[in-house]
Amino acid sequence: MKRLKDTVPNALYIHIPFCAQKCRYCDFNSFVSESTFIDKYLTALEKEIAGLKGQYVFNTVYIGGGTPSILNELQLEKLLRSVLNNTMLGSETYEYTVEANPGTMTIDKAQILKGYGVNRISVGVQSFQDRQLKLLGRIHSGDDARKTFDLLRSTGFKNINTDLIFGCSNQSLSDWEKDLKTVIELNPEHVSTYSLTYEEGTPLTRDLDNNVICTLDEDTELEMYKTTIRSLTLHAYHHYEISNFSRDGYQCAHNLIYWQNKDYVGVGAGAYSFVNGVRSANEKNVCRYIEDLHNNKNIKPFHECLGQDRHAAETIIMALRLRQGISNADFCERFGYTIEDQFSEQIDKFRRDGFVTFDNKILKITQEGLYIADTIMSEFV
Amino acid sequence: MSTERIRNFCIIAHIDHGKSTLADRLMQKTNTISSREFRNQMLDDMDLERERGITIKASAVALKLIKDGKEYNLNLIDTPGHVDFNYEVSRSLGACEGALLLVDASQGVEAQTVANAYLAMEHNLSIIPVISKIDLPQSRPYDVLTEMEKTLGINPEEALMVSAKTGEGIDKIFDAVIERIPPPKGNPSAPLKALIFDSVYDEFRGVIVYLRIFDGAIKAGDEIYMMKTHQSFKVEEVGVLKPKMLLKNNLLTGEVGYCIANIKSIHDVKIGDTVTNNKDRAAEALPGYRAPMPMVYCGIYPTNNADFHLLREALERLSLNDSSFTFEPETSQALGFGFRCGFLGLLHMEIVQERLERESNINIVQTAPNVTYEVLKTNKEVIKVDNPEKVPPDNEIEEFREPVVRVNFVLPTEYVGTIMQFAEARRGRYKSTEYLSEKRAILTYELPLAEIIFDFFDKMKSATRGYGTMDYDFIGYELADLVKLDILVAGKLVDALSTIVHRKDADIKGRKLVKKLKLEISRHLFEVVLQAAIGSRIIARESIRPIAKNVTAKCYGGDITRKRKLLEKQKEGKKRMKSIGNVEIPQRAFLSVLSVDE
Ligand SMILES: Nc1nc2c(ncn2[C@@H]2O[C@H](COP(=O)(O)OP(=O)(O)OP(=O)(O)O)[C@@H](O)[C@H]2O)c(=O)[nH]1
Ligand code: SF4
Ligand SMILES: [Mg+2]
Repeated sequence: MKRLKDTVPNALYIHIPFCAQKCRYCDFNSFVSESTFIDKYLTALEKEIAGLKGQYVFNTVYIGGGTPSILNELQLEKLLRSVLNNTMLGSETYEYTVEANPGTMTIDKAQILKGYGVNRISVGVQSFQDRQLKLLGRIHSGDDARKTFDLLRSTGFKNINTDLIFGCSNQSLSDWEKDLKTVIELNPEHVSTYSLTYEEGTPLTRDLDNNVICTLDEDTELEMYKTTIRSLTLHAYHHYEISNFSRDGYQCAHNLIYWQNKDYVGVGAGAYSFVNGVRSANEKNVCRYIEDLHNNKNIKPFHECLGQDRHAAETIIMALRLRQGISNADFCERFGYTIEDQFSEQIDKFRRDGFVTFDNKILKITQEGLYIADTIMSEFV
Repeated sequence: MSTERIRNFCIIAHIDHGKSTLADRLMQKTNTISSREFRNQMLDDMDLERERGITIKASAVALKLIKDGKEYNLNLIDTPGHVDFNYEVSRSLGACEGALLLVDASQGVEAQTVANAYLAMEHNLSIIPVISKIDLPQSRPYDVLTEMEKTLGINPEEALMVSAKTGEGIDKIFDAVIERIPPPKGNPSAPLKALIFDSVYDEFRGVIVYLRIFDGAIKAGDEIYMMKTHQSFKVEEVGVLKPKMLLKNNLLTGEVGYCIANIKSIHDVKIGDTVTNNKDRAAEALPGYRAPMPMVYCGIYPTNNADFHLLREALERLSLNDSSFTFEPETSQALGFGFRCGFLGLLHMEIVQERLERESNINIVQTAPNVTYEVLKTNKEVIKVDNPEKVPPDNEIEEFREPVVRVNFVLPTEYVGTIMQFAEARRGRYKSTEYLSEKRAILTYELPLAEIIFDFFDKMKSATRGYGTMDYDFIGYELADLVKLDILVAGKLVDALSTIVHRKDADIKGRKLVKKLKLEISRHLFEVVLQAAIGSRIIARESIRPIAKNVTAKCYGGDITRKRKLLEKQKEGKKRMKSIGNVEIPQRAFLSVLSVDE
């Protein structure tokens, strides 16, 4: 096997595993905690971040959660300072994102963020309709979401993403169309629209299992998805990833790293990293994470070295999420052979059915293919 | 050592009554195994046996016992208790002069206790009744004694009381074995006559045969001759099982052990064959074994058609170690080239399938199982139908006959009513009730085999809260109003899903079966229509709607690993599916007929 070129990560993810309240659909690594415990966590996190010093130059930094905006002003400064002191930000065009949730954002916090060079905010709006928000177990109203957005704009943020969820139980197509209309009016640079998934162990899934709620029928969900693509595209958003839309030049550089299956470093409890073909994850349990860091113990219980085939397959699968697809040239550059060498059978089959294209040696999923992307991807593993 | 000091015996009982655990104690007491090597149910050395906690294969082990200053050579065979492995028991009995008949002191006499006891009596074995597990708080040894006396005519005075757990009473077993079981008869100076009671294939050494020497002796260097297969071989090694193979100079009259003779072809060995000396041949062979009668049949096919030859080899190798299943090549339009295999029951079928996959690393699909039917054709020819595909056209059938069995249920009296209802609902004919005691009875029915072999056992178990047990014997074929029920997937008849059913049940079964299949076959990118048909008449239809949306909304950092693993798992699952037309049919779907009633 040809030895792959060494690769260096230039993306950093920082995980803040705290929230004001646990949303009913959420299975992320996040908890409701006291402020003093958050302090302890930040101290540990700071130590992990300090360990990165001098190693990498980051073009993107993404602080996610959880709810990073739940940190109070002091905590926020502490975190941002340690990022500033220990990491090198690349070019002038770096992207520095922080996630914020309505109901936790203040002008002061926004200004602190701005002051430390954060230039992109991702707002967890989810819906503008209170009935939907209640069902999802969010702490805020639709109005709060609008206010947070306005606050960020008035602080001077020029790159804002809004997260939206569709496909809730009992949600109608026109409910969703209203949300889409509102978001288009707000005019963020980036929109992520996720269809609701019922994750194991969440209260919402329990409701589903106990027949308290039922899933939305597939046809309506598909219609919602198609409507999303249609109306956002109509309003000058590019549909660049399965669930993501952006204005020209505002694609999320950090998330593109994931979808291109390129290297990144993750810090914080449960954060994943992918460096030079090795994927690893930090201790997920927050207490243990703090303790292990404190005692200078190994904080990475999970390591996985992807073989070349797997690495390539994974790259194709992730690339199929992107409307731009992946070119043979790109692939070849990274893996030393062509896409057809490994996947000609799958490509032929799905081309015949119109689910992928391979024009100009660029493998892309079609719009029809998008709807059944998982079925298609399953053939590429 | 003269045969005077040899005792050959087996342990027989109903399932779970403690045979293998007793064997453990007997091995430990005689220091056959060191405490370092020891593990519970030591003789259950197959992975499947350990996982399921049951014995599947009979295993022989040689014990050395010093008693009153004399050394005895005890050859013990631990047998399985489940009815599906009954052939293991009957083969073991042929190598022994005596049997320990175990009865669990808390469970009492059960269906296989009776069946196995009769089997031992038929072989004229000396039976030592043993009441086991007397340490259990709920044990009731004296009631159990009465049950044994009543059903099996056993003299209560002769019974031993033991606990394999605490070791209580174990020494008495040795005394009884030596005093009550006769030493093997046999003539040491006659030509070699040995029974092959089992065999196993070893990749390096070829076929290893397990022998019981009836006359003469065998040693390395001897030239032996197999009286049925007419093959001769030079003996490389003989020895005893301890339970690992232990080399010996020779095996003498009355002894039990193994023999390796560079036998490379599986076809050269037949279980039940007589081994004799090639130069000094025995005049006649031992009676050998009656071939077991398969009760259920199913098709076994490689998921990947190219694996057909590998599958054949795997079946041949396995059949050496399990002579109770049969296999014949067959072809299916849907599945390609494969084999029609016969089994003693459903558990047996499951075990063979698992062993095949594990021991040979081939993915296989198994068709819906069925019993064997008999058809009298209009031209007066009688044919056996062990595959629904063999049913002749309607106008050529004069009589369609199904197998009928006599079933003995042993159960607490309070469940007699429930089981009677059960049996009647399945076209059973009542025969008799016999009381073992005030609390327990043997209920006898005649039932169509097809009615009891699939899901009946589990249902009977749950209806009697686990206390009911059953045993059955084939009695003959009877006229019945049967038809072949076909299944069409995407308009194509899938022969592997055909079944034979009673005409009056056909519509209901057909409807249930397509409903069930709808659940088993996952959605495709196109609509999949499922139909049930009798001849050209469609009696039920269901359709599986195509996948409209199947896309993971979120996939970031750590999700990637999770996502890939999920997809990999799906792919692994697909390997076990058979692609028919464009439709992927999972293995489970072929077994749908087993549970249509749920
Ligand atoms: N309390 C108690 N439990 C026992 C005794 N003997 C066996 N057992 C338990 O009974 C269960 C079945 O024991 P096995 O020795 O596997 O029974 P078996 O008759 O060999 O079972 P099959 O070979 O599958 O028919 C196990 O859980 C044993 O631990 C005993 O003397 N006392
Ligand atoms: S805010 Fe986000 S991370 Fe926190 S509980 Fe809700 S969904 Fe989960
Ligand atoms: Mg056992």
